[in-house]
Amino acid sequence: MRSYRNTLLIALVLILAISGTILYLGSYFWGGLLIMAAGALYLVNAYFEKGKAEVLSMIRRYGRTILIPIIGILASLLLGIIIMLATGYDPVRAFKALFYGGFVKNWHISVLNAAPLIFTGLSVAFAFQAGLFNIGAEGQYYIGAMAAAWLGLVLNLPALITLILIFVVAGILSAAWNFVPALLKVKTGAHEVITTMMLAHVARYLSPIFIRAFGGDPSSSKHPYVTDTILESAWLPRFQQFLPKSNYRLHTGIIIAIAMAFVVYYILYKTKYGFEIRAVGANKDAARAQGISIGKNIFRALLFAGFLAGFAGVNQVVGLDHKLFENLQANYGWNGISVALLAGNNPIVVIFTGLLWGALDAGGQYMARTTQTPNAIVEIVKGVMLFLIVAKYIYVYIGNGLKRRSKTKAAPDAAEARG
Amino acid sequence: MLAIFNTDLLVAMIRLSTPITLAAIGATICERSGIVNIAMEGIMIVGAFFATVVAYYTGSPWLGLLAGVLAGGLYSMIHAVATVTFHLEHVVSGAVLNVLAVGITRYFMVLFFGHPGTTDPVPKGLGEYQFAIPFLSKIPVLGPALFNQTPIVYMSFILVILFTWLLKKTKVGLHIRAAGEHPLALETIGVSVYKMRYLGVFISGLTSGLAGAFLSIENGVSFTEGMSNGKGFIALAAMISGSWNPVGAFLASLFFGFADALQIRFQVFKLLPIPEELFIIFPYLATVIAVAGLVRKSRPPKEDGVDFMIEKTGE
Repeated sequence: MRSYRNTLLIALVLILAISGTILYLGSYFWGGLLIMAAGALYLVNAYFEKGKAEVLSMIRRYGRTILIPIIGILASLLLGIIIMLATGYDPVRAFKALFYGGFVKNWHISVLNAAPLIFTGLSVAFAFQAGLFNIGAEGQYYIGAMAAAWLGLVLNLPALITLILIFVVAGILSAAWNFVPALLKVKTGAHEVITTMMLAHVARYLSPIFIRAFGGDPSSSKHPYVTDTILESAWLPRFQQFLPKSNYRLHTGIIIAIAMAFVVYYILYKTKYGFEIRAVGANKDAARAQGISIGKNIFRALLFAGFLAGFAGVNQVVGLDHKLFENLQANYGWNGISVALLAGNNPIVVIFTGLLWGALDAGGQYMARTTQTPNAIVEIVKGVMLFLIVAKYIYVYIGNGLKRRSKTKAAPDAAEARG
Repeated sequence: MLAIFNTDLLVAMIRLSTPITLAAIGATICERSGIVNIAMEGIMIVGAFFATVVAYYTGSPWLGLLAGVLAGGLYSMIHAVATVTFHLEHVVSGAVLNVLAVGITRYFMVLFFGHPGTTDPVPKGLGEYQFAIPFLSKIPVLGPALFNQTPIVYMSFILVILFTWLLKKTKVGLHIRAAGEHPLALETIGVSVYKMRYLGVFISGLTSGLAGAFLSIENGVSFTEGMSNGKGFIALAAMISGSWNPVGAFLASLFFGFADALQIRFQVFKLLPIPEELFIIFPYLATVIAVAGLVRKSRPPKEDGVDFMIEKTGE
């Protein structure tokens, strides 16, 4: 009887969470309430199943985990305020506009921004789990986008088949883009930071050639930097098709991004492959001693990272633009690094950091438009935030300093906290 | 086709390799002290920007140069604090600094010049101070390329020699090397590993700032967003290809400068009927090939990128 009720509750939580997410992402703001309700119900279920003490300790654990990000966010906002005051801008108006723009008014732009960031963030996070730095996600993004535009222009098949083909083929091509860095890493030890970064520049300069080949006409000033529009069968469905009131640009790519985050989580934490990749990332020598092939896992991690980053490009072409622009300032690859770092390379957390980064971008643009504050202040705040959240040792350091000053605890305690 | 291989090509090679050389020799010192620095790209941007700002407002390119170097040095200290004191992973800190540099320069550009993108040109660039060294510049072919140059190019030559001497012959150089090879031993003889690593990062910040000033107020007369264009990472490749030695890094930088100069010539003279972008990617591909081909022979400092905590020695 009891397990029956638990199953029912969990099913309810899942339904609420999924429908809430879809509604929320379809710019129905109260969808967020459903997500919160799902969270509350989950806690209620845990209360019945495990008892009060367990739930309280769970809340405390989660609270402590998000304490550092909250401190980091607040401190970086404070620094933003100081910079704005020192340079003659009104921080209250600016931040009001930032949050209103990013989280309320232009919520749909935040979601649109978040989808590619989640893909590139997952890509960087996945590689990092194997101890590899996929700093060239930007390049794989371009390859994915080019492949999607190419297939979207030439394939004339039913919509579902076209979309699946585009995602798979573009993903494989972007993965192949990382083949050379992986090969060089294994064979000669060439550092992937340099090789993937250089190949990112190569991919960036290939895109204008591609655009000219597929409709971009340099002799006409009308469409010099953009390909023809891809066939409609290759368009990703928009939320508007089943949620009439949502913004017309919002597309279902964000759902795929979130689903991919769960797939990556599953691969990393529930499969043998994921275990091997994490083992290599944690300690190469120990992994080798266990009979885990380092080279094979470097290949797996970098190729799959390329696959994921390619999806970001596909998402933009088949979901949002339906053509490929020569947009050299896209920066989804670089920002993906921030998104992954901020999430501590946890695929599920990447969803939230991607949404946060997307919201800050959208809010920053709204802020620049309405208050004339340069939106680069958002870039600075983002950079500082990243530092304060990633450098966890800062908090240990401050904590130790406080302890030493109050002299309530002995030295061994501090040393323990450090280790 | 062979006509492009002339003295002008050599002059361009030296010019284009200078920022890479400067960043690479600084990074060499930095990595010898045990800190991996991939933030050169960001430091270069910051240096280039503040050199432009000061040169623009004071009218003196020399003050601009000084500001660029100091800005680079100061900015690199964030990397030092993050990696040495707060034990943040070096690559992570470097990546964050690269991101942060773009935001900082963009914000202050709007503040100082009223618009993003490109700053207004400085009234007088350092390039105007080009001078030929008597006699030496008369050497055929090589003379004009090496000895008829602008100030920062000469500085880069001097710094290559200076850094080689510093690393090989001085006590500080020995300590820096020890911080990268065997920090525990260094700590045991009473020299602070932290201090040596701070010094290493600071030196790389100064030279990267100088490289930035070269890009903005010597090679050109204004700062443009994204003008470093991967040069910081190419410098990293030059450092590795040069086996963590200043002279090696210099030679490798010359190779990348050569690839870049060649690319520009192919593009300008339209020697082959292919899109110009294919030429632009040539230096980047050359970088990949160089790192792949040469890295096997060289070995990084033993404790390069390895975190060091004083507590390990036991308190």
